[in-house]
Amino acid sequence: MITFDNVTKRYPGSHEALTNVSFTIEQGEMIYVTGHSGAGKSTLLKLIAAIERPTNGIVLINNQNVSKLKASTLPFIRRKFGLVFQDHKLLYDRNCYHNVALPLLINGITGAEAGKRIRAALDKVGLLDKEKVMPITLSGGEQQRLAIARAVVSRPSILIADEPTGNLDKNYAEDIIALFSAFQQVGVTVIIATHDALGTANYKNKVLRLNQGKLIAPDEVSA
Amino acid sequence: MNLWLTQHLQALKLVLARFKNNILGTLLISLAIGVTLALPIILYVVLDNLGGLVSDVKKESHLSVFLKLDHDEPMLQNIKSELEKNTSIKSLQFVSKEDALKQISSASNNEELIDSLEENPLPDAFFIEPILLDSSSVETLKSQISKLEGVEYVQVDDAWIKRLNYLLALGKKAMLVLAILLGFALFAVIGNTIRMQILTQQEEIEVSQLIGATKGFIRRPFLYSGAMYGLFGGLFGLIISCAVILLFNQSLTALAAEYQTNFSLSLPSMLVHVATYIFAITVGLFSAYLAVSKSLFKSFN
Repeated sequence: MITFDNVTKRYPGSHEALTNVSFTIEQGEMIYVTGHSGAGKSTLLKLIAAIERPTNGIVLINNQNVSKLKASTLPFIRRKFGLVFQDHKLLYDRNCYHNVALPLLINGITGAEAGKRIRAALDKVGLLDKEKVMPITLSGGEQQRLAIARAVVSRPSILIADEPTGNLDKNYAEDIIALFSAFQQVGVTVIIATHDALGTANYKNKVLRLNQGKLIAPDEVSA
Repeated sequence: MNLWLTQHLQALKLVLARFKNNILGTLLISLAIGVTLALPIILYVVLDNLGGLVSDVKKESHLSVFLKLDHDEPMLQNIKSELEKNTSIKSLQFVSKEDALKQISSASNNEELIDSLEENPLPDAFFIEPILLDSSSVETLKSQISKLEGVEYVQVDDAWIKRLNYLLALGKKAMLVLAILLGFALFAVIGNTIRMQILTQQEEIEVSQLIGATKGFIRRPFLYSGAMYGLFGGLFGLIISCAVILLFNQSLTALAAEYQTNFSLSLPSMLVHVATYIFAITVGLFSAYLAVSKSLFKSFN
């Protein structure tokens, strides 16, 4: 469970990226975070993933207050999340298999157990036959799916994706959203940031709508 | 414990794989470190060997007490008993002027010349080996003996040893300074190499941190790299110094043979080996640690 209570984030030398944001996300929900670019979507995701700490307010992740935690324990909080970055952040110096292996390496899982999990993750995103391929040779959609495989390989309970369909055409985008839905159906909390409000309209999921760092209350979002 | 071991093995494997991928680069850097280490090692071995030579000679060092030519028998007995009573004398040997003349004539094969002398020009002499060999106690002993009646002259035979000792002390200081300066050079070489590696792996480091890698996890492979450079550098340093010493030894033994002595440089001792590895690995670890800490966590908390 993730709870934001009056959270404000200000970057040094900049305006407030988020102002007094409060919400709760239950385990197993699928949430969209929308808003124009610069509205604070990425900042919100970074606060959830314990990559940034709030300037003011309280961020609770599974009842742990992130701003009270020591910096040295933050990496262990981060491992609860599977992250899909806006720019993939794939490593182009190694093949698909070893890209997906990175989170397991960080968790100290190696050998046969790691191989099993990596192939399962690649299978889930439909890239099992590409494990020896270098990611630079993959298409945009395939790279996105590889990034998802890396995010889910350590079996996180929360999956966070920043603009996962940003650069993809409609068919690919639908594939990716379907993939995320599949993870939600097995109990994973899924949080997706997207500027593409149209893509979310079809779904009956909760939407956090941001405008210039402020959360717009659901009743103001009269469709 | 098991996880700890796995993580360390992982890091070690990763580092060895990286080294394998870049054998030439690793060799060149290790060689540079080796050359840097070889200089103080060779200097140390030379000084150590010379020091050994000096302490060998020092054991034979003594005072020669020459008596006046016109001393009489009671005077001689008096001197002898005084010397025997002296507690700072280890051994005492009396050589009468007749014995001295005999020794000279038998040693130098010019009996004719010595026969032609009308009277023995040599004095009676005592040869003394003191218990304490440091210069101040030898000086005290010398002045004590000089005061005795009938003593013409006391000669201390270790003046050149004293000078050599000062030179050796100077050499040791020079070696220490050299080792410290070259230690900084090593520090820079290894630190820069690690920094280069960090740059080429910046993306991996960034992603790893984002998905939950601890600082230790990221630092570990680089620390192993630093330690490995130290290890390989130490190995090269010892190989280079052994090779140089063996090369010089051929000429040295030939030279020493001309002086009827048997001198050659010994190869670095076990202690030198261990000290070299410890020094090199410590410098490697330390410079890697600093390089990683400085480069990694600036932009990310």
